[in-house]
Order: sequence, then structure tokens, then C-alpha cells
Amino acid sequence: MSLRIAAQAVFRREITLFARRKSDWANPLMFFLIVTSIFPFAVGSESERLRLIGIGVLFVGALLAAMLALPRLFDEDAKDGSLEHLLTSPEPLAVLILARVAAISLALALPLALATPAFALFYALPSEVAGILALTVVLAVPTLILIGAIASALLVAARGGAILTAVLVLPLTIPTLIFGAGAALKVLSGESPAAELALQVAYFLFALALCPLAAAAALRISTD
Amino acid sequence: MPRTEQQSNDRFNGKWFWRYASPAAFYPVAGTIEKLCWFLAISLTIIGLYIGFFRAPTDATQGEVYRVIYIHVPAAWMAMVIYLAMAFWCAIGLAFGTRLSFMMSHALAPTGAIMAAISLWTGALWGRPTWGTYWVWDARLTSTLILFFLYVGYIALAAAFDDKKKGDRASALIALVGAVNVPIIYFSVQWWNTLHQGASVRPGGSSMATIMLTAMMIMAFAFWAYCIAVAMNRLRTQIIERERSAAWIQSSVRK
Repeated sequence: MSLRIAAQAVFRREITLFARRKSDWANPLMFFLIVTSIFPFAVGSESERLRLIGIGVLFVGALLAAMLALPRLFDEDAKDGSLEHLLTSPEPLAVLILARVAAISLALALPLALATPAFALFYALPSEVAGILALTVVLAVPTLILIGAIASALLVAARGGAILTAVLVLPLTIPTLIFGAGAALKVLSGESPAAELALQVAYFLFALALCPLAAAAALRISTD
Repeated sequence: MPRTEQQSNDRFNGKWFWRYASPAAFYPVAGTIEKLCWFLAISLTIIGLYIGFFRAPTDATQGEVYRVIYIHVPAAWMAMVIYLAMAFWCAIGLAFGTRLSFMMSHALAPTGAIMAAISLWTGALWGRPTWGTYWVWDARLTSTLILFFLYVGYIALAAAFDDKKKGDRASALIALVGAVNVPIIYFSVQWWNTLHQGASVRPGGSSMATIMLTAMMIMAFAFWAYCIAVAMNRLRTQIIERERSAAWIQSSVRK
């Protein structure tokens, strides 16, 4: 029972922080808006061409925006000492990390996913494609945060964290990128996205099962 | 029941190879392996390239350019094998806390990255005349590129820690995470796109002429020997660097 209370407390603390410091989720959203809106300047404004690159730009843009939040996972807490409290808790660390990842995923994935259909208008994408893109972003952002939890837990004790996070995390997000964008491409060409969606969910569940454990081990290593 | 020190010593003495988990004990062995492997690498390369360049016939469809296979395929194999070896030593290091295991995986990583780079580079040179382009987003090319990123991530992470021990364990963990993901990435990339010619060599049958296959196998062994030799060389350097204050280094290596 006390495990549930501890996990809830961690979750509530993160949500409260997001509610009080709106820049934590508003900045990634602004980043997403700006990144997706500068691409047309580079490729031209014809709708045909934009439709071709739109899915990729939106999906990668959302992933990069979520990447911005990764330092927030453990860095600040390591600086102000609250990470020590998490580590000395008698409850299993993996569960507490999972609660924190859940809160951050919720606070990031929802705004990004809600913004995706709106930004899809820039790229002349049909509404059903915009809808499926929002759904795949909802799945991809938590996957990225789960994988990112391992990297940012390791980087708490390292130099030059921000660039390294990208180097470590982005290659591992390729499966979710392939399946997520693939589902949207299927809808764009009028086919069923079921297979891609199923695989994207599978990769998410795989990350959900293993990443909290690995992140807990990583945090123990770097705060040793 | 907790083991006494005597019991755990017995356990280690029972298996002679545990002795070589000590950098001091393995240092001279690594030197012997290195010399042997240099000899094998040089002689096998001479034999393999001689057969491959002067004895093997010209390919019926691809002409002379196919001969890059004698470098390309062994390098691609080594890039994959070395990642597995690296992940293996990382797992051993995390499980038993043996510092030599971490040094071994650090010694392997740059060679693995170079092998991935060589296979990509020679692949581009091969692709230009046969496919008409240096690069295609084909499944095997793409996965080799991602494998290269995994090597780079491992090397960069290991270098990012001032505390070497922490860096050892942190990079070992990321290597294991990568190793778990490699099959998934490979599968997903394959799902995404495939164009590469089917594998020429597979268990139970091969589409290559025997002499070409012979040359390629000899080159594969040459690459094995080369990789082991440079890894041992790097391992010895690491041992000297990390254990420089130990008495045995002061007395034996300085000489």
C-alpha cells in the first residue's frame, strides 16, 4: 500500500511542478511550432511537396521537442538534492521512476499530440492523417521519455549532457519513428495502419517493461 | 549462508581462468596473443588478397568491382561480432565487477566503430558502380549506420565521466541497452525498406564460386586476427594507464 502512496506522491509532485512552471511544457510546444514552421522555407510552399514531407517533419519535430524535456528528468533534482530522497526511499526505485516518467509523459505528450493536428494544417495533410499522427505521437513521446530516462539517469554524473542525450537516445527511437510515421503514411495512401500501430504499441510496451529497471540501475551507478 | 573468504578463494582457485581477471596476470598473456594475432593477420591478409585479387575470376555481372567484397563483408561481420563481444564483456563486468572486463570492452569499441565505418565506406564505393548510387536507405546499410551510432554513443559516454569507474559501469549499461535493441532496430528497419542483394553466404549453401568464398573466408579470419591484435594492444595500453601506480607496473613494464 505504501508503494502506491509513494508512487502517487512522486506523480503528483511532477504534475504540480508542470502546473506551476508552465514553461516546462510550453517551451517544447513552442519549439515544436517553430521547427515545423521553418521547413516550408527550405523546401518551398507547394502543397504537393509539403504533403510528402509533412508526416516526417511533424513526427521528428515532436520527438525533438520531447527530447528537450529530458534533462528535466533528473538533472534539477540532482542539483537541489531531492534526488537523494528518491534514492533513499525504501520503495523500489524502478516504480518511482515509472511514476515520474508517467507524469512527464502525460504533461508533454498531451500538448504535443493536441498540437499535431493543428500543425498538420501547415502541410496540407488530410484530417484523418492528422488524427492518426496525433495518436502515434501519443505513443512515441512516452517511448522516448522511457528510453531517455536511462540516458539522463546516466548523464547526471557526466559532462556535456545535452548533446550526449541526443546521441544516446535518438538511435533507439528509430523503431517508434518507423512504425509511427509508417502508420500515418499508410493512412495517407488509403490503407489500414493496423500493423504499424500494433508494432508501435509493442515497442512502447517493451520499453515500459524494461526501461524503468534499466533507469533505476543507471541512477544507482551515477549517484554511487 | 555467507561464504567465507577461504571458500570464495577456493572457488576462484578451482577455475584457473579466474586468475586472468587480474590485469597484472593478463598483461603478459595479452602481449603473446597480440603478437600471434599480428602474425596471423598479416600472413592471412597477404594470402587472402592474393587469392582474391589474382586467382579468383572476374564476376560475370559485376566485373572487377566485386572484389571489394574481400574487405567489405569481413568488416561488416566484424562490426556486428565486436558489438556482441563488447556487450558480453560489459555484462560480465557489471555482474562480477571485474575491471579488466570493462577495459576489454573499451578496447574493443573503437575497432568496432572503425569496422562499421569501413563497411559503410567500401559499401558506398561498391554501390556506386553496381547500384548507380553511393548510398541507398536499404535495411542492412541503415542498420550498420545505426550500429555505428551505438558505438559512438558508447565511446562518447565512457569519455564523459571524470570518474573512470562510474564511466565504466555507465557505458556498460548503455552497451547492454543497445544490444537488446539491435535486433528490434534491425527488424524495424527491414520492415521499413529493403533492396540489398540477398546475403551471399548463409549456413547450408552459398551463391558464390568456391574460390571467391575461400578468399573471403581467409580475409574474414585475417580481420578477426587484426581486430584481436589491436584490441589486445589497446587493452595493454589501458592497463598501463589505469594501473600505473601499481607496483608490478613500476617493476615490470618500465624495464
